[in-house]
Amino acid sequence: MRAPAHFAHRSIAAAAGITALTLLLAGCTPAAQQNTEPTAGGTLVYASGDAEPTCLDPHVGGNYPQALIATQYLESLVSKDADGQIIPWLATAWEPAEDGLSWKFQLRDDVTFTDGTPFNAEAVQANVEHLLDPATTSSTGYLALGKVASTDIVDEHTIRFNLSTPDSALLDSLSMPWVAIQSPTALARGMDVNCESPVGTGPFIVTDWKRQDSITLVRNDDYNSPPADAEHDGPAYLDEIVWRFIPDSASRFAALQSGQVDVIDNAQPSDIAAAEGQGITDLDAPRPGASNRIELNSGKAPFDDIRVREAFIRAADVNDGIEALFFGTADRSFSVLSSVETLGLSAEEHFGIDPDAANALLDEAGWTERDGDGYRVKNGQRLSVDFPVSTNQSIPAEQSLFEQIQAAVKQVGFEVRLKPMDLSSWYSTLIGNDYNLVSAPYTKVGPDVLRILYHSDSITPAPSGYFANLAQLNDPEVDALLTEASQVTDADERAALYAEVQELILSGFYALPLYDQQNHFLVGGNVSGLRAMPTVSTPTFYDAWLAR
Amino acid sequence: MTATIDTQTAQPGALSHAGTRVGARPTVGEVLAVTALLLLVVAAIAPWLLTPFDPLAISPREAFQVPSFTHWFGTDESGRDVFARMIYGTRPSLIIGVAATAIGLVLALILGMLAGLGPRPVDYAVTRVGEVLFALPGLLLALIFITITGPGVVTSTIAVGIATAPGYARIIRSQLRAVRDAPFIEAATVLGRSRFTILRRHTLPNAIAPVFVLATLGVGQAIVWAASLSYLGLGAEPPAAEWGAMLNAGRTYISTAWWLTVFPGLFIVLAAAASTALGRSLQARTRQVQS
Amino acid sequence: MRIGRWVLTRALGGIFVLWAVATLIFFAMRAIPGDPAEAILGGPGSQASDEAITQVRSEYGLDRPLYEQYLLSLGRLATGDLGTSYALKADVAGLVGELFLSTLILTVLSLLVAWAFALALALWATRGGRIGRMIGSGMEIIAAAVPHFWLASIFIVIFSTALGWLPPISTPGPLGLVLPVLTLAIPLAGFLGQVMRESLTDALESPFVLSARARGESETGVRWRHAIRHAALPAISLSGWAFGSLISGAVVVETVFARPGLGRSLLNAVLIRDVPMVTGVALISALAFVLVTIATDAIDRVADPRLRSA
Repeated sequence: MRAPAHFAHRSIAAAAGITALTLLLAGCTPAAQQNTEPTAGGTLVYASGDAEPTCLDPHVGGNYPQALIATQYLESLVSKDADGQIIPWLATAWEPAEDGLSWKFQLRDDVTFTDGTPFNAEAVQANVEHLLDPATTSSTGYLALGKVASTDIVDEHTIRFNLSTPDSALLDSLSMPWVAIQSPTALARGMDVNCESPVGTGPFIVTDWKRQDSITLVRNDDYNSPPADAEHDGPAYLDEIVWRFIPDSASRFAALQSGQVDVIDNAQPSDIAAAEGQGITDLDAPRPGASNRIELNSGKAPFDDIRVREAFIRAADVNDGIEALFFGTADRSFSVLSSVETLGLSAEEHFGIDPDAANALLDEAGWTERDGDGYRVKNGQRLSVDFPVSTNQSIPAEQSLFEQIQAAVKQVGFEVRLKPMDLSSWYSTLIGNDYNLVSAPYTKVGPDVLRILYHSDSITPAPSGYFANLAQLNDPEVDALLTEASQVTDADERAALYAEVQELILSGFYALPLYDQQNHFLVGGNVSGLRAMPTVSTPTFYDAWLAR
Repeated sequence: MTATIDTQTAQPGALSHAGTRVGARPTVGEVLAVTALLLLVVAAIAPWLLTPFDPLAISPREAFQVPSFTHWFGTDESGRDVFARMIYGTRPSLIIGVAATAIGLVLALILGMLAGLGPRPVDYAVTRVGEVLFALPGLLLALIFITITGPGVVTSTIAVGIATAPGYARIIRSQLRAVRDAPFIEAATVLGRSRFTILRRHTLPNAIAPVFVLATLGVGQAIVWAASLSYLGLGAEPPAAEWGAMLNAGRTYISTAWWLTVFPGLFIVLAAAASTALGRSLQARTRQVQS
Repeated sequence: MRIGRWVLTRALGGIFVLWAVATLIFFAMRAIPGDPAEAILGGPGSQASDEAITQVRSEYGLDRPLYEQYLLSLGRLATGDLGTSYALKADVAGLVGELFLSTLILTVLSLLVAWAFALALALWATRGGRIGRMIGSGMEIIAAAVPHFWLASIFIVIFSTALGWLPPISTPGPLGLVLPVLTLAIPLAGFLGQVMRESLTDALESPFVLSARARGESETGVRWRHAIRHAALPAISLSGWAFGSLISGAVVVETVFARPGLGRSLLNAVLIRDVPMVTGVALISALAFVLVTIATDAIDRVADPRLRSA
């Protein structure tokens, strides 16, 4: 993960000497400063700005708020280290077959679920079946295991995954919290009970869920299965975590400042800036998968014309806006992949700002006339593009950035119609193809996210009507490269294929990358040892402790 | 204390001389309210008279400037002049307030007249419908309406109208009932006037006058309502400078840029309070005329 | 006998209101674009599989004709079964009951505080002479014009961030209630104050108060014994309305102060199309409204015998 390095660079000057920070900076090596000896005990209050999960079992549905909390009580077969390498967790070793159509996993033999059920091959099989069962209504986990046809129990602690086609993303997929392993005994209790109190092998246990208020997690005193890159062994330091939901960002930050809560997520850029010098530290953990980008819908006019797409991107000057609105907390991205992804291709050359070139391109594309308001017109049609914005997913700073883009491209004659709306209306608008521009985050471990976002198969709507290829990129060459890359086993070959396909996407002006999917946590001065998992960047409280 | 009692005992006498207080000298409160409203109307009609800045001129490098002599209310997150946005935002904000009130009153008039003038069964049915709508929190009605029709200025304006209609309908109905049973209507009936004439010449004028007063009272509340919907993410579309939307956008920055929250809020309070104050004094004056 | 009939009529009226609310919500929620099955599966973005959608449709009876679904849901509601929340996957009756208690505490306290403020303002304004009246009515009008979420933000900045006196989010103790209650109470006090002052002024000018004064009762005695009793009547009958407006206000206040309650759940439920939850919240607010209205009418009848014959 690049996040800690990036973070260190900026914060040393601002907040040097803060103990919480030094632990974060060090990543893996505890810094030898005063009061850095972890102390056990205490209750930590976490305040989430995300919607309250509807089910605490991340197999069901599968969204980020579920991943955030499930990281505290569920564990996966594998994890990732800060360099992006897959490391052991509940599985100690793995090996693909020659043909890539099956993988054998060696499992830990000393782990027990918190309800006393032993962790073994049978448990893993039950979880795969649970994920693939339509009754579970899994979406994220179901997609992640899309190529898994069946599992075989080789022996008590060895399991074989049988695949329908080779899957170069299998390990990445298995590292995600949405396919974490739960107690088969607990799963058998039925969905309603399991949603309320899922049982895993993690460092904490869900004990109480007061709807619309908080979830209480207590320490698992028998814990023995930290991932290979954790700071310590044995149980966690904290006695208890109270997981609260505070939807209002201003209240959330005020609660952190006044000490009612210890850690907040979804921190606003202005608050991150304001927190400097208040003893509060920023844990910057960009999410993996895609970067935050604006997709240009090439499936319909006017963006079906590459010249119009290029003109838009050449006119949309976002650099000053990102600087001002994000207070230096977000770096401009020139890649459709997150900076966390080692195979991401950054191509700044396609995103130079040049209003003259934009004007020339629009003239060439036939948008030659201008109407009374200064917008371009062709055949009596104004050059208008609809931009539905989800107020749940786009933070206020991002919404302001979109307004700035609206003003910038107006100079060359585009009319951008920004439409802020709630999440459900937003999805309906996308499903109805009533958009020309859209910003849709997508979190997934590994470059395989490109296949989901840009393969023409993803234009075909899922049963729910949703389709992930919102740029509606339909290019056989891109499809072929993406399919090949998802199947090759050779790492170099895979990297080359992903580089090639990203070049095609970026040079086709299908997307305007903005920055990584922002994922900032503000941490009170009394909290040390908090780190984000290098898989999907969810914070883990296993190593965290409270100063007394 | 005696002085107080004197003025109070004197007042009922004064009130019986219909009209004596209507032309009375305006109070300080009335002067303030009318001045504020006049300024707002000027801002709505000719905003450029009050500010040299373009409310939409984006300049990221000048973002978050504190209030100064150049930028009276500071600049916002995109470097736009907040004072200019407040002034230019007057028109859409007042339109939302006035339109929502008009929608609410029209709906209420229909319901209220059916109930207040119709035969008993109709009154009964309409009153029950009104009761049902009244029993639901207004915001729930607004929220459901917006989710059905999709968000936006037009729908949130209509939503506010719908949410406020049951309250108005109640007042209009009781007003009509009271007027219908009033002695002068009875007198007209005895004199043999037709029902329609009575309705047109006596009932409606007497019942409708207070509705206009209600309207002035309602505009302020409608603006506050619309601002609440903006807070819930169901308001105006950018880049329009609408007060509720501005307040909502500014609130994010309350820990770093207080002026983005304080000034839009003050404008909403000012507009709502001024229209309420005007409504109250009109109400007081018309009541005095009637008695 | 008359009282028995009165109670019966009111009870039937209340049941009618509840039935109408249930019906209105049922059809309104069906009119919202989007498939309820997807709402159950976490919204259209969840990319639910075909099998999952079919599964849920039959599980929740969504594959039946609309009228059948309506009758079924009415039947369930009649037996007190509010169903299972789409989003929270839990019994709505239990959820709503718990949340209602929290909202009830908030709204009742706000109502009491608003009454106290309004009464204090009205009393002060009626005896403060011209200037007092002006300031009093000015304060009432301004208080009534303040948007809840703005007031809440300003309170948080002043009392939590700057002074550190009060928590910016709801906490278990009474301290956490102070800011939410004040935020709801102040605008309401503005409204109640306007009404109360008017009737208080009228009451102070009425013949029975004049005669009390003539009998030589002290001014304070007159105010407390006669005027306030009569001035409080319209305020009490307004409480039904006030209660409804407080629930609307609670949507905002509970969101800002992260307080569990009906208002906040209502907002979430409408946004994610959680039909059983919206129905539950709507029904319990309607029920509360009906009960408050009946109660205030009953108080009116007791306090003002003239109404009994009406």
